[in-house]
Amino acid sequence: MTAPMKSFRQRTAWIAWIAYPTLAVALCLGLWEALVRINDVPLYILPKPSDFLARLIADRTTVLAQAWATSVSIALGFGMAVLVAVPLALAIISVGTLERGLFPVIVFLNIMPKTVIGPILIVWFGVSPAVAVFIVFLMCFFPILVDSMSGFRATDPRLRYITRSMGASAFQTFRYVRLPAAMGYIFAGMKIGIVKAVEGVIIAEFIGSSAGLGFMIMRASSFMDMELMFSGLIATALVALVFNGAMLVAEKFLMPWNRPRHA
Amino acid sequence: MTTGASIVARGITKVYGSDSSAYHALGPIDLDIKPGEFVSLIGPSGCGKSTTLLLASGLEPVTQGSIEVDGKPLTKPITEVGIVFQDHLLLDFRTAMKNVMLQQEIRGLDKSVIQARAESLFERLNLKGAENRYPWQLSGGMRQRVSIARALVHDPSMLLMDEPFGALDAISRTQIRHDLEMLWLDTRKTVLFITHSIDEAVGLSDRVLVMSKGPGTIVEEIKIDLPRPRPAHLGEYPEFTKYANRIYSIFEKLGVYKFK
Repeated sequence: MTAPMKSFRQRTAWIAWIAYPTLAVALCLGLWEALVRINDVPLYILPKPSDFLARLIADRTTVLAQAWATSVSIALGFGMAVLVAVPLALAIISVGTLERGLFPVIVFLNIMPKTVIGPILIVWFGVSPAVAVFIVFLMCFFPILVDSMSGFRATDPRLRYITRSMGASAFQTFRYVRLPAAMGYIFAGMKIGIVKAVEGVIIAEFIGSSAGLGFMIMRASSFMDMELMFSGLIATALVALVFNGAMLVAEKFLMPWNRPRHA
Repeated sequence: MTTGASIVARGITKVYGSDSSAYHALGPIDLDIKPGEFVSLIGPSGCGKSTTLLLASGLEPVTQGSIEVDGKPLTKPITEVGIVFQDHLLLDFRTAMKNVMLQQEIRGLDKSVIQARAESLFERLNLKGAENRYPWQLSGGMRQRVSIARALVHDPSMLLMDEPFGALDAISRTQIRHDLEMLWLDTRKTVLFITHSIDEAVGLSDRVLVMSKGPGTIVEEIKIDLPRPRPAHLGEYPEFTKYANRIYSIFEKLGVYKFK
């Protein structure tokens, strides 16, 4: 292939990347709009896209403020989970007794549905965003912990022979070999974690928060405000999209060596 | 340039585990490897070849006996060494050149000096153009060449190789064997080379030590008196066939081969 051809294709690739999904979404919404109009479905059963999209724009300051509150809860809970889970994974892997002692506890906590702790958290923290932050933390903590543990285990033991023959200290082996080798696994855990985080944060805001999109949707539900509920749904999806996108960008930035998906 | 180190081992054994689960992997064996000598260990799987390499590098402690490298008793892993295993063991998150430069980063050596050495090794090992590629972008043969460059870039006094060409195809193996021989002729590092291949052992070595298993001991020492550099097709030398046949017959006597 000639060079100019390739660069032309590269330059136009992003247009297709945006155009196809946009077209698909527009088609779905169009079909929805048409079906609701043709069958004359009342607003309190199912609103039309034109209804809730207009509402989303009209109430954008409120929705944006609630989306911001939700995003802060996700960022705090997720950030804390990463900061605790990754070093803990390393500690568990490095100390055999820790692994034997903690592993059953981890398995137990991992299979326990995290949202059941919500009512208890309400007693502890009151109805506040702290409940949501804590549930987000619990939701993403375990996938990150478990995958980080696999990551720190992944290094070939003979690689340790090679670094020892270089006279590497334990810290050097960690910095040059074990941490970068574990990065792919840590990111895999973080990508599962962020999906769970968005799910967790909304449920937490349903039951025990005074702010956020979940709170907004729950309040709209009690007023049977279908337009606002669907606006909240769209906003939640957008928040999820932003966080997932941020993970992909961070991965590309922190792991430039990663094999391209279509290589 | 650092010249080769001598390795002298007396009565070394290795027992893994203890009590009832103990496994006597090696020995007792003696080694007398002269500075700059190319010595191969050949023998069936599980005869303790790899264990010998780990003991000679100080990476695993001996159970009994003693080892001296350049006259100094070995008590901890030696660092004046380059190691190549059957798997390339390159870091997939570093480019070929950065994998080699890991030696410089960890040892804290002068960057420009090591960089220049790395570039000349890339040239000699036919790795030009591979510098900025990641291991997954290289062929198996090239990955193993990068691994050899990593083992030599810091100018060690000895090179320990554990079946380094075992995972390669026959064509790559012949070429890389020649490239290694040419590098060795220039630098005269002491090489301890572990292999399953009679061709490789005879084709590369000054001396071949034939091992038997259960527990591993050295049963025969064969001096290979062939001119260097040796040709791709070793059959050109009638003596080559003589040496190879001798190793085959030892293996048959040991029961490694059971031909009917």
